[in-house]
Amino acid sequence: MERFSRPRLPFDTLMTANWKLASQALLLSWLCLALAPPLAAQRHDVDIAVVVHPDTPISNLTLPEVRKVFLGDRQYWSSNIPVVLLIRAPVARERDVVLKIIYQMSESQFKQYWIAKIFRAESATAPKVVYSNDMANQLVTAIPGAIAFIDSKDVKAGAKVLRVDGHLPGEAGYPLR
Amino acid sequence: MGWRRLRLLFLMLTTSALAQSPTPADSEPTVQSLLLRIQQMEKRINELEDHERKQMASAAETSATGVQPGAVTAKPLSETSEHAEMSETRETERRFPSLQIRGFGDVDFSATDQKGSISGFNLGQLVLHLASPLSEKVSYFGEVSFTAQPSSYELSVERTIIRYDYNDFFKLSFGKYHTPIGYWNAAFHHGAWLQTTIARPEMIKFGGTFIPTHFVGLEAEGNIPSGGLGLGYNVGLGNGRSSFLSKAGDSGDSNDNRAWVANVYARPPRFYGFQVGASVYRDKLTPKPGQNFGEWITAADVVWTKERPEFLAEFANVHHRDEFTSITWDSQAFYIQLAYRLPWQQSKWKPYYRFEHIHKPETDPTLADVLDLSGSTLGVRYDITTYAAFKGEYRNSRHGVGEPRVNGAFFQTAFTF
Repeated sequence: MERFSRPRLPFDTLMTANWKLASQALLLSWLCLALAPPLAAQRHDVDIAVVVHPDTPISNLTLPEVRKVFLGDRQYWSSNIPVVLLIRAPVARERDVVLKIIYQMSESQFKQYWIAKIFRAESATAPKVVYSNDMANQLVTAIPGAIAFIDSKDVKAGAKVLRVDGHLPGEAGYPLR
Repeated sequence: MGWRRLRLLFLMLTTSALAQSPTPADSEPTVQSLLLRIQQMEKRINELEDHERKQMASAAETSATGVQPGAVTAKPLSETSEHAEMSETRETERRFPSLQIRGFGDVDFSATDQKGSISGFNLGQLVLHLASPLSEKVSYFGEVSFTAQPSSYELSVERTIIRYDYNDFFKLSFGKYHTPIGYWNAAFHHGAWLQTTIARPEMIKFGGTFIPTHFVGLEAEGNIPSGGLGLGYNVGLGNGRSSFLSKAGDSGDSNDNRAWVANVYARPPRFYGFQVGASVYRDKLTPKPGQNFGEWITAADVVWTKERPEFLAEFANVHHRDEFTSITWDSQAFYIQLAYRLPWQQSKWKPYYRFEHIHKPETDPTLADVLDLSGSTLGVRYDITTYAAFKGEYRNSRHGVGEPRVNGAFFQTAFTF
């Protein structure tokens, strides 16, 4: 029986090899985990710019004022310029930021809010949906009174970007990120 | 040796655990990369479309781009991008009129231990809401309801409003409204899906007489320049109650006196979700020819409309004066409702509690069908989807002085479509 048995490695040798392999795997895992959040955070640190039509007679809003506009409580920039809300379709970072910081609502609550708003006769239309930042850029320069949230890296040169709480995107203290 | 085995076991467990558990740090980059990929694909589609358009244009050697009436005009851009922009703008252009219809419905079940009551199902109101902007500054809103009656359905025009917006500070409308007294009556209307609970508070129930729920006439509304206070107003002039005190004077007033209503509220932007308001309503009631009563209603409300928690409270005092005998009566009613959207299970559960109270002098002839009330409602709402909900309630209430308390179980599925 003994001649058919496989030669045994000393347990210490086996343990040392496994130990090294496992240690390296663990070290690599921890390294990945340690590096992943900062990398993800870098992507999430891109500010979301509030862009308006160039003729909109406003250049600075506080965060509560931005909220008032997007809640439909302020519907006119001036007597002749109605506010036209542009919001990204679901599954876009701009929409996530707007829902989280401006509306403080979930996707369902947001939909329910606008159904109720129109049902109360407080607004005749819901925000218009845009499907890309390119589309938002084009429409916000085309529609008088339009306001949109666009990733600050995708804002077209020459677009009118509002200060929020006195800060532009990229400045310290900018609230929409 | 045992120590080494333990260390090896620990290493294997932690490594496998880290590998298996999906953390936000793992999933977020995946989502981000997908989003980037989608954006890249969108750009690529635009490029391909532009290319195709160029080929078609060179083949036909013509370029025809006409702006449709009512479309939002675009700024001059390059020929190809102009077409692309127009195709996108068309999706968001405003057309007038632009009718949107939304429906609301509910199915209910009730069972109580009140003597003589019959348990069973009943159809709630089927409600159609219409909204149509007629121009940038003119809009129409309508609401019709179908209510099941023993032999047929009753069709009612609940609201029909045409509104002219001058700016945020002045909007003038004409038609039939829900009277802006307090918060609930102008916030939830006839769609049961909109409100947290199965039923409205008794003080503002449809078909009740404590507060006139409908108002026919004109109304001015808007914001009041007030900085951080966020003040707003509604002022209305109309027919007031008809000779059936639960009805508005749709077909004409019951006397030559107009009713008026004024409501002021504050929604401070810094306290998002908070609202406090006060209302005054004045009318002359003529339930029968020769019988005239002066009516003053004063009301106050405070609400926190966010759902964690949701808090609604209203109080109203109804003052009646017989113009012949000068006898006066004062009736009071209030409710307090508290709800909380639970964070678990995708925030679908929302338990709530409401206490309501009505006190009315027995001798007030104008509120003969209103009974004293002291009642509690304990329930839960479960949102099946974004547009449909189940609600279940237990109610314990006493209607009338000296009457026994009644217990009841109520269920409802409410939805919008």
